[in-house]
Amino acid sequence: MALYENPEIPEGINVTAEHPLKDFVLLLLAATGILLAAVLALSLLAGYLVRYVPFAQEQALASRLSTEFQRANSDASKQKQAYLQALANRLAANMDLPKDMSITVHYSTDKTVNAMATLGGNIIIFQGLIDVLPNENALAMVMAHEIAHVRNRHPIVALGRGFAVLLAISSLTGVGDELMQRWVSNMSMITLFSFSRSQEHEADVDALQALLKTYGHVEGAAAFFEYAAKQPRLELTQLLSTHPGLEDRVAQIQQFAQEHDAAGKHELRALPDFIMLHEPQAPATATCD
Amino acid sequence: MPIDLIVFLVLLASGYIFGQAAEKRHYKSIFEREKALHGILCSSERHLPEMGNVEGTLVSGSVVISIDYFKRFVAGLRNLFGGRISAYESLLDRARREAILRMKAEAGAYGASSVWNIRLETSSIYKNTQGSIGSVEVLAYGTAIKFR
Repeated sequence: MALYENPEIPEGINVTAEHPLKDFVLLLLAATGILLAAVLALSLLAGYLVRYVPFAQEQALASRLSTEFQRANSDASKQKQAYLQALANRLAANMDLPKDMSITVHYSTDKTVNAMATLGGNIIIFQGLIDVLPNENALAMVMAHEIAHVRNRHPIVALGRGFAVLLAISSLTGVGDELMQRWVSNMSMITLFSFSRSQEHEADVDALQALLKTYGHVEGAAAFFEYAAKQPRLELTQLLSTHPGLEDRVAQIQQFAQEHDAAGKHELRALPDFIMLHEPQAPATATCD
Repeated sequence: MPIDLIVFLVLLASGYIFGQAAEKRHYKSIFEREKALHGILCSSERHLPEMGNVEGTLVSGSVVISIDYFKRFVAGLRNLFGGRISAYESLLDRARREAILRMKAEAGAYGASSVWNIRLETSSIYKNTQGSIGSVEVLAYGTAIKFR
């Protein structure tokens, strides 16, 4: 008779002796990595494509969303706004804006030391900023910087990127619809944007060019950054978090001045008196949350 | 924090904790019973060797084991990358051994000294049903032989 037997078979032949959590963590990390890469690629693509949206469309979008611009409701505010708009127009004339692009300046009585560019060529200048600037040249630098953001379509690129990321996250997690609606309806054009460092750099260079063309020199351009560099960081985080280092920017301006300025002392234009006057603070607005 | 995510994490954690505990307990019991039933010879041989005066009967054992939420999630991730689903290996190993043990228990009750021509069949329950927990059934059957 043939011999049959059942020897004891060692364990671990059919089952991988590996902690189940190890597999889990590795897979999760890999999946998360791929997902992040995909979202990043999507956001970059959106940022690239959104440049092809006509400026008129951007303006239409902005006018539908812009409930936050403070209306100039006093005579003093209107006068300041008119002055700022005229300054912007003068600078914009030297900045090769596309034909269909226009700049709209809004003046805010808010004490925030800031200025910002948003969708549709809207630029907001805060009284707080004007208060710390010594002359018109310094204000023109900030203004030209914001105009350069608009000209280079930075606000809508930021919007496109943000929107792509949000869309990806909401469709992946499935918690989307409600969140999305809330975001779109509350869309705060002012807090929405953060520009990248390279965008800030680009805007600085364009602004210096515009200043050079407008005034014939760039003296005084660094005034705001020199002021900001002396401040404790906290107050200015809103403005500075994504901006290049202040010392770098001052150095960049000085270098630009050396390359393009004729030597000698240049005349700085003073700010008009009325712009420094304060009026009673308007009721709190949502501009600086 | 979205409620969906909380539910998901709770399911994942409880799947891991209870799933691991159940697996550990099951393996312990499998080892014990395999020792106890080691005396009954098992073979997949189709033709009985010459054994003299014997009689036989069909014996079978089947088991259904469910996958836990944690393993299902890991296996789902595995679907993206390919490779061995080690989370499922222990599940099927347990199911096969349990089915054979139940078959052997039946054979033991019959008084058999050996089981021949053993076959194993595996089928998944809830196959392809969306959102369901996957379970497998393993059926073991063979011919139990005892001396008259």
